[in-house]
Order: sequence, then C-alpha cells, then structure tokens
Amino acid sequence: MFGTTKLIKALEEKGVTRRDVLKFCAITASVMSLPAGSVRAMARALEKAQRPSVVWLSFQECTGCTESLTRSHAPTVESLILQSISLDYHHTLQAAAGEAAEAARLEAMKAHHGKYILVVDGAIPLGNPGFSTIAGIDNLSMLKETAKGAAAVIAVGSCAAFGGLPMAQPNPTGSVGVSEVVTDKPVINIPGCPPIPQVIVGLLAYFLTFGKIPELDHLNRPKAWYGETIHDRCYRRPFYDQGLFAETFDDEGAKKGWCLYKLGCRGPTTYNACATLKWNGGVSFPIQSGHGCLGCSEPKFWDGGGFYQTVATPFRPTGRIIAITAVGAAAVGFGVIAANHALKNRAHKAHEPVTVDDLE
Amino acid sequence: MSASFTRAINVLREQVDASVASFFSACTHCGLCSEACLFYTETGDPNYIPIYKLEPFRHLYEQDFTLAGRVKHIFGLSPELTDVALAQWSELVYDSCTLCGRCAMVCPVGNNPGAMVRKLREGMSVAGYAPDSLVDATQRNVHLGSAMGVSYKTLKAQLIHLETDIGLTVPVDVQGADYMLLLSSMEIVQFPEFISAVTRIFHQAGVSWTISSTAFEASNSGIQIGASDIAQQIVERTIKGAQALGVKTVITPECGHSYTALRWEGPTLMGKPLPFKVRHILEVVDQLHQQGRIHFDPNTKDTRPLTYHDPCQIARQGGVIEAPRRLLNAVASDFREMAAHGKMNWCCGGGGGVSAIERADPLRSTVFKKKKQQIEEVGVHTVVSACSNCRMMLEQGIEDNSMDVEVISLTELVADHLVSVEQTVRDVA
Repeated sequence: MFGTTKLIKALEEKGVTRRDVLKFCAITASVMSLPAGSVRAMARALEKAQRPSVVWLSFQECTGCTESLTRSHAPTVESLILQSISLDYHHTLQAAAGEAAEAARLEAMKAHHGKYILVVDGAIPLGNPGFSTIAGIDNLSMLKETAKGAAAVIAVGSCAAFGGLPMAQPNPTGSVGVSEVVTDKPVINIPGCPPIPQVIVGLLAYFLTFGKIPELDHLNRPKAWYGETIHDRCYRRPFYDQGLFAETFDDEGAKKGWCLYKLGCRGPTTYNACATLKWNGGVSFPIQSGHGCLGCSEPKFWDGGGFYQTVATPFRPTGRIIAITAVGAAAVGFGVIAANHALKNRAHKAHEPVTVDDLE
Repeated sequence: MSASFTRAINVLREQVDASVASFFSACTHCGLCSEACLFYTETGDPNYIPIYKLEPFRHLYEQDFTLAGRVKHIFGLSPELTDVALAQWSELVYDSCTLCGRCAMVCPVGNNPGAMVRKLREGMSVAGYAPDSLVDATQRNVHLGSAMGVSYKTLKAQLIHLETDIGLTVPVDVQGADYMLLLSSMEIVQFPEFISAVTRIFHQAGVSWTISSTAFEASNSGIQIGASDIAQQIVERTIKGAQALGVKTVITPECGHSYTALRWEGPTLMGKPLPFKVRHILEVVDQLHQQGRIHFDPNTKDTRPLTYHDPCQIARQGGVIEAPRRLLNAVASDFREMAAHGKMNWCCGGGGGVSAIERADPLRSTVFKKKKQQIEEVGVHTVVSACSNCRMMLEQGIEDNSMDVEVISLTELVADHLVSVEQTVRDVA
C-alpha cells in the first residue's frame, strides 16, 4: 500500500464521482453542525489529502467492528473512503501474515512517524500478557509501542473505548479500554457494539479537513454523534410522552409501535446517533425493527442488568452495598439511640422537682 | 454556667422524646407555619415564625441527640447553647405564642410547633426567664389556690349574692353529686353571671351537681408557665377535691385553657387516667339539650346577627366544635360564621398565659387586628364565645379599637333563652 497516493484519485478509480464526495462532505458537515463553508473546505481537504496512513490494531475483539465498517449493503462513499485509506496494517484485512505483517506495521510506523492514525478495536488484558498475543507480542506492549508515534488514537467499538464484553463482570482477564493504557495523548472513543460506520469515516474526514479532533464529551466521544440520547431523537418518543407503552413484544402496543421503555429500552440513557443516522445505509435501527436499545455504546453496558428490565430497575451490584450500608447505618443508629437513652436517663435522674420558688 | 441554666438544660433534655425527635428531623423549613401564626401575619416580623421560636430547643436537640450534632460539637463547629440565648428567647417563647396550635394544622409533615413551645417553656421557667407576672400568677395558684388570688371566701360571697339574684341555691360540697363544676378566677371575679347561668340550666335539667370549696379553681398556671411539677400539684388538688365528693364527672368552665389542662394534660401529668370524666360545660349543656332536659322558647329566638369565636383550646385542641353551633342555632336566628372558624379559627391573642403577661400588652394589641378584621368582615355587633379569657381579650381589643361590638357568653345566652316545660305547655295552649 502506498501512503503517497492522493485519496480522491484512489476514490475515482473506484467509481466514486466528485459529486458523491461533495454529498458525503455535506452530510458529514451537517451531522456535525459545521458551518456551510466547511463542506467545500472538507471536499478540498479530501481532494488534497494524502491517503492517510492507518495502523489498525485488533486486540480482545470479535471483528464485529471491522465487519460493520467494511460490510455495507452497497458500496457507499464512506466504505470506499475507508478502503481508500492507506491501511498499512490490519491483521484481518491484510494479505500478509506472520513476520511480513509485523514488518509492514513497523515500516509504516517508521515512515509516517508522528503522522499515522492508530485505530484500535478490542480491549487490552492487563491480567496476564499471555491472554492475548499477536505474532508473539502481547497486546499491551504492542499498543504502547504503536501509540508512541501516532498522530491520533481512535478507539473503535465499546471494547476499545470502555472495555466492553471482555471487561464484563467478573472480568477474568483484567481487561481495560485504550484510554487506561494510552494516557499521554488524546484518545477519541467511538463506542458501539459495533459503532455506526459513518461515524468513524466522518471522524476521519473531520480530522483530515481541520487537522484536529472534534469537540468531545466527558467520555471522549465526539459530541456531534454522541451529544444526544437515542431517546431524545427516537421516532417513538411521542408515545413515551403520552404514556403509551408496549408491555410485551406481541401486545397491541407493540403492534402499534408504542414506546419500548417498559421492555427494557436503554434509549433514555444511551448517547449515540442510531436514531438519526440509522443502520445499513439508513434503512432502520433496532427500535424501528421493534426491539429496545441495548445501550451498547455506554460504558459497562453488559453489567447494567437484564436487557428486558426497565431502565429504572436496580440491578445486582447494588444489593451488597445496600446491605452493608443498611447494617452499618443501623449499627450507628442503635448507637445513637443508646446514647440518647443514656443521656435522657441521666437527665431524669438529675431531676429536682420544680417548685414555685425556682421560677424567679 | 449558672446553676439554674444547668438545671434548665437538664429539664430540656428530659423533654426530648420521640415527638421532639421526629419534629426536628422532619421539619423541611417550608415556612408554611408562619402564615398560620397570628403573631407573624399581623406584624410581618420573621422572629415570630413558629419554628423560629423553638431555635434554642432545636439547637439543644441537634447538639445532644443527633450524630451530626455530636460530631459538630466535638469539632467545635456549632456554638454552645448559652444562658444568654435562652434569656433572649423569653419574649418569643412566652409573649408571642398562645399555644393555640394553628401552626400544627398547616404543617405538611404533621409537626406541632405549639406543643414544642410548651416543652421549651419547661426549660425557660427553670432558667428563670418566665415573665414576672406569670411567675406571680403561678405562685398565687399554688399558695392561694387560685391564679388571681381568689379565695373560697370571695367565691362564697359571690355565690350568696347571685343566689338572692336568681332565687336558686348553688350546691357546694354535695357528696355523691354527678357533676363537679370548676370555675376560673376570672368568672368568679368578673363574670359571675356564668355561675348563675349554669345554676339555672342545671336546675331546669335536674342535674345533680356541686362546686367544691377546696378545689374550685380551674386554671393551671403550671402549664402556662411550663412547670410540669407545679402543674401536677394543681391537677392533684382537683383530683383530691373530686374524690372527696365522689363525683363522676368534672366540668371545666368557659375557659379554654383549663379544659386542655385537665382533660388532655391531666392524665399525662399524673401518668395515669383521671378517676373521673372531664367535660367542657358546652358539651354538657349540649347533651342536656339533645336529651330534651332543657327547653328553649322557639318563638323568642335572639334575632341579632351574631358570630361565634371558637376558643382555640376548646375547638381546635378539644374538638368541641359542633356543640356550640347546635346550641347557638337553637337560641339565635341569625348566626353567621366567620371565614376562618372551628379548627381553623384565629386566636384572640391572649391564650397560653399571654393574657397574664403585662409586658406583652402592646404586642397583643397589635395582633388583635386579625380578630377585628374577622368581626368586621362578618358584619355583626355581637360576638358569642365560651371562654372568659377570650371574652376579656375580645372586650379589651374592642375597647382599644372603639368598636361597637358586644361580647357575650354562650352559656349565659343559652340560660337566657330557657323556658320551663310548664310555661311551654301553657304557651301552646
């Protein structure tokens, strides 16, 4: 792969017209609430852009994120942009294997030092280096080594962003997300299980256009896509506001498309763009096909109680804490009661009958 | 730290119980009680907000009985309750609270600030911060048997006087009578017509009743000043007098305070049920009327427009609300209700011992505005009540404000409309 080829030229070779690129830029700009002028700027930037060198590391993951980003229903601009980047290392997609593959990674790191983009999917096990290795190199060492010369680190998918499934209780391998390991440079989180393909490509486009990372929220997610909850942008929201809920998956309410809140929908607590960008090229998203949101882009979503329990239902880990707190509070309470009784008894014992002479 | 202050703190600690704990923990500082208090609405002075009157007590409770308070105290984060603070609160605890209990009616969490003021007075009295005039009244109540210093001699003289007036005998020290009537000093001295009225009513109904020469005083200054030990002595005196005569029921007179003092506080002070029933005179008269033992002339109803002032202790604290209205409607044709009446009535401003506190005169006069406004709104020139203390307060306020209003006693009004059965039969014939 050649990092020096112009991106737009590579796209043209794949049959993507200039108009398509402009359209993509317009959509991305509007989703990110960028000013109108930035559409042109973005198109120009993409036109001028060298095919950015990307090193993609996959650790404890299921390849679902790669599937999501590469398998589109029909070839879309974003999938082609993805394919047109200089993906210098991706052990699922690259043809090379073994030492040759690792050599490609080291070469890219050397050639584009300080300029390449590091994309990570999958969590990193801290428990034992042997839990997950690639070509004999453990995940932690590989991440640290590769992150050193990266211009930006993008954690794709909930596992890379927040630990995801590998970190779910009881977290046997001691997994963590990328930002627990890479602390000396910004890590942009694109959580989701998997994340929406447009989001990662949009992020790349923004990065290429402005040379910086977009505004992030407190969990380092780009606000443009993770600024609002699924619930706030859900087309079923009017039913929620009217108190119309599906109680089971086959009742009248479900058939009429009422709100799935009572069936465990995590829409109200999940920040993602599913309700607006949708999936499979804008065809649908889980709620539209009749199932509540699982909250897959939120930290620790596996440990958040049953998927079919209403959001407000308390879940397991609180039980013990509540019990300990209750016992502790009761002990303190009984202590205070005993002390109060003693104080009052002392007061009673010290009581001298009040006579009228005491009143003056 | 003075000895009296140490003793006061000890007494206040004794007063802390479940109700105090739940009250101070539950109070949300919403301030609703302020609008229920006469002293706040008529002055607008935030010092008179009911909950604020309890500040020293709340402070003591927090410091001595709560975990947070104890911790704060250990680290010196909360100032000590001082003798000076108690002294400063004397006016708020005595002059500006009539223990009327109206604040308890509006409290959203069911607290009773009035009852807490009553408890706080226990400490204030021992600390020596009770108003002088209230101390004097309590001393008279204990030493002379009556808060106003009325002796049996005085009573006897009044009885002889009124017996000639009405041609009936007032039974004194009758063994085995059904009812024993208590009297407030105010009635003996200022409103002896009340005794005449009761005598006439009971005569017609054929009630077996008596007055005790040793226990005729109804009021209990020990409760007003906040000294339960003294209050207990006074209740004990009544119990002894009633037991000596073997009466079944003790009647408290037209005095709100003495009804609460004997019926509700009595058993609490003694720590056991009283050996007799306690009824307010209106309850008894109403019952006699319901039983058909007394008769009113339906043709000579009082046609004056009149209203009824509910004494707080009888209506709000005692639940005697229907009886006076039944009686009033039986003898008067134009009874008009004040907007706030029954359990939500406004106090006359002199309850809870406030009428006996001389230094509170100007404040009492200020807060009478509320009653004045109420009387004017209802547009009457006659106010009926059933408490001689209310009656005195109303008369004083009416005079201060040059109002053209007459205050009459309900028992007296009822007695004035009595007709004998023979007379009724004759009239019908």
